[in-house]
Amino acid sequence: MARPPEIAFLRRVPLFQDLEEPVLRALGPSFRERRLRAGDVVFRTGDRGEELFLVKEGRIVVSKPVTGRIEQVLNRVEPGEAFGEMSVFGDERHRSATCQAETDVILYSLDRESLNRFIADNPLTAARFFQQLAMVAFKRLRDSSDLVAEVTRWGLEATGLDVEHT
Amino acid sequence: MTVEHRPKRARLELLVRQEDSAGFEVREIPSAVAYLHSHPQRIPDAQWELAQLPYAAGGAVTYALKNLPTEEIIQISEAEKFLWEQMDGRASLQEIATAYLLRYGSFDFAIIPTLIVKLLRADLLTMRPVSRLRAVLARNHRNAAARAMEGTLHALERLTVTSRRAHRFFERLYRYGGFVLFTPWTMLALVVMVALGAWSGVRIWHALDDVTHGLAQHPLVAILLVKVVFWLTVVNHQVIHALACIHYGRRVREFGFTILHGFIPTFYADVTDIFMSSRRARIVNAVAGPLFHLFLGAACLWIATLTSPGLIQGFLVASAILQLQSFVVSLYPFCFLEMDGYHVLVEWLGLPTLNHDAVRFVRESLWSRLRNLDTLTRRERIYVTYVALSLVSVASFVIGIAWLLVYAGES
Repeated sequence: MARPPEIAFLRRVPLFQDLEEPVLRALGPSFRERRLRAGDVVFRTGDRGEELFLVKEGRIVVSKPVTGRIEQVLNRVEPGEAFGEMSVFGDERHRSATCQAETDVILYSLDRESLNRFIADNPLTAARFFQQLAMVAFKRLRDSSDLVAEVTRWGLEATGLDVEHT
Repeated sequence: MTVEHRPKRARLELLVRQEDSAGFEVREIPSAVAYLHSHPQRIPDAQWELAQLPYAAGGAVTYALKNLPTEEIIQISEAEKFLWEQMDGRASLQEIATAYLLRYGSFDFAIIPTLIVKLLRADLLTMRPVSRLRAVLARNHRNAAARAMEGTLHALERLTVTSRRAHRFFERLYRYGGFVLFTPWTMLALVVMVALGAWSGVRIWHALDDVTHGLAQHPLVAILLVKVVFWLTVVNHQVIHALACIHYGRRVREFGFTILHGFIPTFYADVTDIFMSSRRARIVNAVAGPLFHLFLGAACLWIATLTSPGLIQGFLVASAILQLQSFVVSLYPFCFLEMDGYHVLVEWLGLPTLNHDAVRFVRESLWSRLRNLDTLTRRERIYVTYVALSLVSVASFVIGIAWLLVYAGES
């Protein structure tokens, strides 16, 4: 039978690190454990998003379709990190990227309903949760802008275009 | 002293999904690889004009290259004109760089990027990635046949097994005995063996019935044995190219197995570094592999005369025929494939891009020149001769194979 995540593990996850132990214990049973084989898709771009995920073991690759069977790798999610929060809390309810297991993976999922209940029951603690969520969002933004710069540099190098002297 | 810290080349990580399965692979594509594989394509011929400038600093020939729609003009050197002529969208930058090296005997790493920047600025160039076939297949991805072909090509490409650390191995192999191959004693041994082989060939010719009888008794074993041994000698052919590269102090970049052009399984050694060496080194490198087949063919014939009729003798004679055939085929330059003999021919003629230029001349210019009754230059006559001989050779080969199949079927 799937067990809820241990408190020590939740403490490693930035989103939950500032939450008191009783709150974490109360939230624990809402998590669902999922085991994936390498190659299994957690969700695809455009799917409706109802869950937030935490990676316990393994690695998730985040990608976005480019053309045909080719996708751009945007990020990797390592143990202790969360993903899928954008469509749970954001204004767009559909997944913005595809997440797929790059290795065998153990995940915990937390659905929107449980999260909303947790927020309603613990408004003060939820403020700390949202503060961490904002941090995660800022990091994603930084990573995305770094990636845009890297892809632009790649394009310039691959085409030999010398913009400085054009 | 200041040290310039150049940023690492950018890498793009792409996730490539497998056809009809959940599997995928992540590929890192360095920008440098994309750059080398791009096919620079100059604008259509009607949109540009090239003229030699009447004056030149220091006696160097320079040209004015004009983009007719934009009326922009850039000045290019003789070497840049050569590169411009290669940029027809068919040759990759890597192939263009090789052609440049063969033509001028040295390589200036800055010349190609500098010229490309200049051409792009004047809107004289477009850059297309990878091969035309792959581009067509990608455009027709909805077509099941195109998808199947793309999948097959991808699967075949994945069969490539390569070692980029081959250089140290070949250095050791050369040090511990390989150097002997490049001494006068080896040449003497080759001459003696060829003489022995010729004499043995005549003897075997007179007792051919015994040989065929020996093979016919064990046809399956004989075919398998000959094939396996032949494959081993193909490996050795490449090993000898690699050793020749080491002999001239150059680097063996890769050694491995691949499916050439998507359908020819072969071993290969990347000895392109030999282009940085002398003309003599390039010729020795090209002929070293085929001479190995000549030596083995002659040796097989000689040993066959020392054995009694049966499977072993039949195997030796069949192997000798295959080795001698490989010697001739790899040294035969007229077949549109750039094999060892082709490289010797281009060195001799001093036309490093003969195949590419000859095909282009015949396809694009020959008929209009003939219609106008223009006299062909020496170079153009070489182009026509090369294409004509190659066409005749390929046609003869196909007819020969067809005749052999029919004849073998009847007998």
